Amino acid sequence: MSSSILIARNLHKDYPMNGAAVHALRGASLDVRACEYVAIAGPSGSGKSTLLQLIGGIDAPSSGSVELLGTRLDALSDRELTRLRLTRIGFVFQRFHLLPVLTARENVELPMSEAGRGRRERRDRASELLAYVGLGHRADHRATQLSGGEMQRVAIARALANQPALLLADEPTGELDAATGMEILSLFRRLNQDGTTLVVVTHDEQLAAEAGRVIHMLDGRIREPRP
Amino acid sequence: MNDWIWSIKSLARRRLRTVLAVLGIAISAAMLLDMVMLSGGIEKSFADLLTAKGYQIRLSPKGTLPFDTEATLPAAESIIRRLRQDPAIAAAGAVLGASLYGRGRDSLVTLFGYGIQPEGQGLYWLQAGSDLAPSDTNGVLLSSAAAGLLGAGVGDTVRMVGRLDPQVMTGSVDRKLTVRGLVHWVYDYRGQPSVGTVLPVMQMLAYGHREDRASLILVKAERDGHAPALAATLRTRFPDLEVYSVADLVAVFKQRLVYFRQLSYVLGTMSLIVSVLLISTLLTITVNERLAEIVTLRAIGVARSTIVRQVLIESAVLTIVGGATGLVLGLGTARYLDSILTSFPGLPAAFSFFVPRRESVGTAAVVLLSAGCLAGLYPAWVAARTPIAATLRSEAT
Repeated sequence: MSSSILIARNLHKDYPMNGAAVHALRGASLDVRACEYVAIAGPSGSGKSTLLQLIGGIDAPSSGSVELLGTRLDALSDRELTRLRLTRIGFVFQRFHLLPVLTARENVELPMSEAGRGRRERRDRASELLAYVGLGHRADHRATQLSGGEMQRVAIARALANQPALLLADEPTGELDAATGMEILSLFRRLNQDGTTLVVVTHDEQLAAEAGRVIHMLDGRIREPRP
Repeated sequence: MNDWIWSIKSLARRRLRTVLAVLGIAISAAMLLDMVMLSGGIEKSFADLLTAKGYQIRLSPKGTLPFDTEATLPAAESIIRRLRQDPAIAAAGAVLGASLYGRGRDSLVTLFGYGIQPEGQGLYWLQAGSDLAPSDTNGVLLSSAAAGLLGAGVGDTVRMVGRLDPQVMTGSVDRKLTVRGLVHWVYDYRGQPSVGTVLPVMQMLAYGHREDRASLILVKAERDGHAPALAATLRTRFPDLEVYSVADLVAVFKQRLVYFRQLSYVLGTMSLIVSVLLISTLLTITVNERLAEIVTLRAIGVARSTIVRQVLIESAVLTIVGGATGLVLGLGTARYLDSILTSFPGLPAAFSFFVPRRESVGTAAVVLLSAGCLAGLYPAWVAARTPIAATLRSEAT
């Protein structure tokens, strides 16, 4: 069995709201091993997106710790954390959030450009990734010219651009119809089979069922790990 | 992905808004450029006018500025003789300004007369015919306006009348003179009918008899760089006269135009503030519209510095495009305004209010670009400081 690449311990997250604290997470712990496909499922407000943001270094926990590839995130400066997100973590969001003025290829190239990779390398890698997600023929189309499913596939290609150790997806099928959602499911399955470690937040049971392990959340707590 | 292309594409998303903002910036930039040209241009134009014929020093009656009053200085010939003996002086010439009349086809025409010493004149360029000889007491030079009013050309005879009695409309001095040449008088206003004779003839026309007086004396130093020192020496040698170098006259002129310059500074500053507000407002709106995009970029690992750079580049693009448009607009506006202002009576036609100098265009460009970048700082700060998680949460709901 491979070792854990992600170790989250006793995570709490409180948000102030109208003078009171909202407890979004109440002591969640999680281990993710390399090449694992983990789904975090639960109803709205259960804290699953918050958990994803904490393990992705987008937000800091009120207490508890996150360790990614042996590095504690709370020990990193903002700049180091940004660099870690760029090079070690891939993000896929519900609303894709591609840059509409850029082409599919330019969107995929963007994280590589930020990481300082050369033009030729970026171009080749973007072409390779777009072909992988089945959009080689749409590389030069602007994001606004793509369908929802195509945009999400471009977003996945963008997330994979810097060969991350961990791919995090927050409701990746939430904005898609059932048929397009199935395409994304199939893409995630293929990604995992090809060695990508995936943590997917979803309230879609079908998507959750695809994962090797499903973690259920309720009221900010992890209910039961299911093999 | 080139940052500049990314910025241009981002700005092109809202084309109409961007075009309107660029137009606004262009108008402000044009106004700024015009004000910068105006604030320094008048002095530059005045200095150029004073040195148009290379004479750097003026001597005028005590307590007066050259041609500012009707005061004259006595013993002009003696002063000129002394000046011409000075080896530091290349040329010197006395000038007497006087009102006189010319007989036109069927009436008297009001003229302005210059009494000059052709061997030391700094007042005109010959355009047609020949110049006056120093001893030519029968010749006259005409401006094209005077030639038109008198209906005379080179070789014709004209009658000049001095000391006119308005009751009987006859003058006590009446001279027939032959037109030797047509000249362009450097300090004439547009359409000014001016004539020039040698100094003794103009003294006769002005006073009715030969009186050795002049309105001012022009002095050309052997070397340009020595003019201020020469002016200082002349001040000591001629304590009864005012001695002005070009720099002195520009300083006096500057003092007189201080309110004009203050006005141009105020208007220039206002136009700059309008530019800053326009750019800042547009980019703040744009950044707010793109917050989801910006936090996504931050989430996937794009550094704050990249986001800041991107917003500042957008600000620079707006400023550069607006500034370039404003440059063309400003130069066009300046030319138009100059044509209106220089047509005011009493102003030399060669005088300009708006002088497009490399320094003024450069100053306006640097000030505008700096202001543009400054304007981008606040929206860039907003973009860089936006909390990622909170914004993503609010986007999801």
